[in-house]
Amino acid sequence: MNPVETSGKRFSSWFTADNLFTVVIMSILLIILAVFLLYPVVDICRLSFIKDGAFSLQNYLDYFSEPKIFRSFYNSIFVSTVTMVITTVLAFLFAYGLTRTTMPGKGFFYTVSTLPLIAPTIIQALALILLFGRNGVITRYLLDTSWNIYGATGIIVGEVLYCFPNALFILYTTLSAVDTRLDEAAQSLGASALKTFFKVTLPSSKYGIASAAALTFNLTITDFGIPVVIGGDYSVLATEIVNKVFGMQRFDLGATISVILLVPSITAFAINYYLTRKSYAMISGQARPFIQPSRPLKKWAFTAYSGFISASILLVFITVFLGSFVNTWPYDFSLTLKHFDFPSLGASVPLWTPFWNSVLDPGPLRDMIAIKYAPIWTSLMVSLVVAVVGASITLIAAYIIEKKKPRGEQLLYALSVLPAAIPGVVLGLGYVLAFNKPYFLIYGTIWIIIINVVIANFTLGVLSGTANLKQIDKSVEEAAVSLGAGPVTTFTRIVFPLSKVAFLSTTTFYFMRSMTTISAVLFLVSAQIKLAAIEIIFLDVDGRTASANAMCTVVVLIVALFLIVMRITTGSSGLTGMSATK
Amino acid sequence: MGRDLKLENLTKRYGNLTAVDHVNLEIREGEFICFLGPSGCGKTTILRMITGFETVTEGSVIFNDRVINDLIPKKREFGIVFQSYALFPNMTVEENIAFGLKMRKMPKKAIAERVDTMLDLIGLSDWRKLYPSQLSGGQQQRVALVRALAPDPQVLLLDEPLSALDAKIRLRLRAEIKRLQQELKKTMIHVTHDQEEALSIADRVVVMEKGQFRQVGRPIDIYKNPSCNFVADFVGTSNFFEGRRTAAVVDIGRRKIKVTRNGNGTDEAVSLAIRPENVEVFKGDAVPQVPEPMNLVPGRIDVVVFQGAAVRLLIHLDGEEIISDIIEKDFEQRALKQGDQVYVYCSPESYLVFPGGEGKK
Repeated sequence: MNPVETSGKRFSSWFTADNLFTVVIMSILLIILAVFLLYPVVDICRLSFIKDGAFSLQNYLDYFSEPKIFRSFYNSIFVSTVTMVITTVLAFLFAYGLTRTTMPGKGFFYTVSTLPLIAPTIIQALALILLFGRNGVITRYLLDTSWNIYGATGIIVGEVLYCFPNALFILYTTLSAVDTRLDEAAQSLGASALKTFFKVTLPSSKYGIASAAALTFNLTITDFGIPVVIGGDYSVLATEIVNKVFGMQRFDLGATISVILLVPSITAFAINYYLTRKSYAMISGQARPFIQPSRPLKKWAFTAYSGFISASILLVFITVFLGSFVNTWPYDFSLTLKHFDFPSLGASVPLWTPFWNSVLDPGPLRDMIAIKYAPIWTSLMVSLVVAVVGASITLIAAYIIEKKKPRGEQLLYALSVLPAAIPGVVLGLGYVLAFNKPYFLIYGTIWIIIINVVIANFTLGVLSGTANLKQIDKSVEEAAVSLGAGPVTTFTRIVFPLSKVAFLSTTTFYFMRSMTTISAVLFLVSAQIKLAAIEIIFLDVDGRTASANAMCTVVVLIVALFLIVMRITTGSSGLTGMSATK
Repeated sequence: MGRDLKLENLTKRYGNLTAVDHVNLEIREGEFICFLGPSGCGKTTILRMITGFETVTEGSVIFNDRVINDLIPKKREFGIVFQSYALFPNMTVEENIAFGLKMRKMPKKAIAERVDTMLDLIGLSDWRKLYPSQLSGGQQQRVALVRALAPDPQVLLLDEPLSALDAKIRLRLRAEIKRLQQELKKTMIHVTHDQEEALSIADRVVVMEKGQFRQVGRPIDIYKNPSCNFVADFVGTSNFFEGRRTAAVVDIGRRKIKVTRNGNGTDEAVSLAIRPENVEVFKGDAVPQVPEPMNLVPGRIDVVVFQGAAVRLLIHLDGEEIISDIIEKDFEQRALKQGDQVYVYCSPESYLVFPGGEGKK
């Protein structure tokens, strides 16, 4: 008896059915990334090469030939390099103290060092101005000096404080992963403690150090919040772009500077990315957490050092908090809530304004909550949507990349990792150039902001998703399929529940980024749609420093509250193991 | 013909690498088949082609007289047990077992009954509310076994299900699988690299090397009449000799050995294999009386390895070494010890002769 063919096709129906699912999802993801990531960036590049409607290098010639503008390039490189060196050294010593000594209070130090992640980058600048500015409590009040911190010094100090946790995460991981028995072996062979440090500890963490340095460079050169507030006349690339676009309506120059900024930023990101992979390859499974008791001098030196760093970070937060509650900094320290009654910058927000109007009685309080707090409600709404949408879409992308490995997976992966290399200001400007057209109906709505934030932070979501999915045994999915589950059921019943922890931490990350991000959405806010983090800048530029502090305090409190709620409801801290690259 | 499973010229190529090379096999309904071979021999690839997780490059998998190459895994209704258990960590024991039944849209009540039956089968009824991480490896694999059996699959495929377990538990679970197979009369296909496991559990064993079948047969035939050097070496332990055969005498250079097997060619290269338990050892004080004096050689005991019921001797002959397993009682009786001068005798019929003589020494 001859076997009967089930179908004449050579294609396996399972592979087509499963492929269909993969191909459809992957096409959607690729289209999203092409439209909302590649297209704006390409549009910027295109515009930078056009002068009077024809291809030309004139924009670049203009940029490099005019010393006043060219200065911003040099300045950016300068502050980024100095910040990179200082941050890496400081963070390495801090990480060394946390991982290799028996100093007390490690948990406290670690937690404090992560604080900068929950605030807009602008907070460091606001605090430094309150302390060391023209009317700084230290410069004016205590020392009575005319020196102040505006300019390169302020940018560098601010960026160091902001980049510190990001560099620390990488170095902490590196140092806790390198086998401490290597150190012990070196010492048992007669090497002195100092020699062990320079010959064993330092070389074995070289990739981690370089990767932390590259990340710091990238974060600094792409940051907008700190330089705009504390830079004064000291212009850097990111502020220069905004200047040209907002101040002079010169989109072509903005685009040109964007492309120039892309070069060091992408380079630094690529180095960081390459080295992070390398440094993880060096992680020994044998690493042992046990640490010998440190000698008293070493122990207390590191405690004092970590205490100093933690105090500096705390001081930033305390200063801004105080600054938002006192009458007139630094002359009248009596407490007041008046700075929280923001100057009329509100607009009606859908959902929220009607809600508050129905809950509260008419009066100044209702006006304040319903109208003046509009940016806060918008930010909150945007952030909640971003958190859910961002975490979901990056998990799905990670699943396709890690588990389905379809043809073209490399492309999807490359596009998913790319956003971390694109400065927020550049992506934001790209959105204006690409989507400010009548047929893009979502332009000018909160949806374009939501999409922008989701795309701008795509990298970390995908990386943490793939790292998590790697740990799920492939046969678990095959078991589900062999028991009759289709691709969708397998994802919802098996893969998603097993990725819950990663999903929640990505949710937290997206919420934090969305509440605190400035550079990416700067170009996308309007008179109707305002965001809390952006308002901090506008208030500051208007000279309403105290209100800027108050707005910053509100943002920090909302993020902190969200973290606490996540912690209580899910039992997992969103901050653990979180950094701009993972 | 019934629900037989047939592999016809089944081939899998990855680029230039041929993982499975035109293999043919007919597996009868209710049969317990074991694929045995070293890692990388293609046994798991065959299993994965049967399950549908791997595409077929050439040839066909035929079930119930239908070519199922293109059938999705779900539609094949084959159960799979994985080496890593692959239990769903987010579900309890009973939810794991019920999963396949839910996917088949079985009514709730029927599911509950079926889950009870399955839990009874493995004696884990009291553990039903626990999560996989709260179970031992052996318990997890038993749950995985009934999870695959619950939807009453046409065929159960076991991919090295015991290799992640401790030796003791492995033996118990092996017996349990055999018992389940006999009770349920389910066609089972088992993949392993453990020859002892294969011989003890299967109705028929398929010995594989380099993507090809070397021998297919009952365990006892595989052991007693290996078809080639590879099988003789991989299944059980063998002593090997290279030589040239004329009629029934093989010249291995240092000496001549009388054999009976495999015809009487003239002056052809052959390799000889002999199982250690067929190597007899006599104390060296007097020449023993044997049916074929040509096969009697003097030697010296070099190493004595106590193995419980048997004792393994490494015996130094003139320029060669031979392994002999003798029963511990005989070892005791003959008062053998390391360094003793002995006579070694192997009967002509105990030698396996493989033409070609490319075997290992």
